Amino acid sequence: MAQINPPGFVVERGKIHEFANAILDDNPHYHDTDAAKRDGLPSVVAPLTYSSVASYFTDRGGPGGAASGLDMRYVLHGGQEWIFERPIFVGDILTAEPGASTSYEKEGRRGGNMKFIESEILYRDQKGEIVLRGKSTLIQTGGVVAS
Amino acid sequence: MNNFESVKEGDVREFTTPEFTRTHFVRYAGAGGDYNPIHHDQTFAEKAGLPTVFGMGLFTAGVLSRLPAEWFGPENVRRYAVKFSSRAWPGDVVTCKGVVTRIYVDGGRRHVDLDLTATNQKGETLIAAEATCRPWK
Repeated sequence: MAQINPPGFVVERGKIHEFANAILDDNPHYHDTDAAKRDGLPSVVAPLTYSSVASYFTDRGGPGGAASGLDMRYVLHGGQEWIFERPIFVGDILTAEPGASTSYEKEGRRGGNMKFIESEILYRDQKGEIVLRGKSTLIQTGGVVAS
Repeated sequence: MNNFESVKEGDVREFTTPEFTRTHFVRYAGAGGDYNPIHHDQTFAEKAGLPTVFGMGLFTAGVLSRLPAEWFGPENVRRYAVKFSSRAWPGDVVTCKGVVTRIYVDGGRRHVDLDLTATNQKGETLIAAEATCRPWK
């Protein structure tokens, strides 16, 4: 499948509306520009997990993804963390860059070694300032993930 | 929406989702961009040895994020961290719950820490999460 990688991920109102509906959240700050402005916001705000949209649209396969060099058949998505320096608003143009990455091994509950890979993505706005740090934990298991 | 003044440690909020359907997963696939067929293609899921498709962890994480977002305003959430425990299946009804664990002042702003859980109708934890909220400016 052809993948287009635009230089920046533009935060759009319609996409936020669609995404907020998909996570079953009717918060007016996600859907209604007037309501957001009445509450002192410059515009509609992006949901907390909205950066996952950027990660799927700018590389292949989402968190970790093919870019991580892992065999995704043996990988579980263990966790995800979002740390906001400020909210993300409509009109922001985000660029993502890899941050720190660490890995360690642990004995699995059902035997076999499990490798934990923690990697960070830094999202900068159009001024070059960091707005969001996204951290994901991937768990590489010894065999095909059955459950 | 400013609940920072009235909130107390131990305060609890919860809500229950509608029954999850395959359509919920498909809508999230389109909105979020996760087209892994394990989440929408019955034939693919069966070949992988599963009874049916299951929901994306980030779908349930998004659903659970409504709790801190609704309580303190989405713009006021400083940190949201989730750990995935169990999968969400079609037919699941999920209870999302948040408990205030700590209130403190940092940098002149009131901060509220929450423990969050998304639990299915069998009592299994799908996600355990934490959030920190504070006025964004």
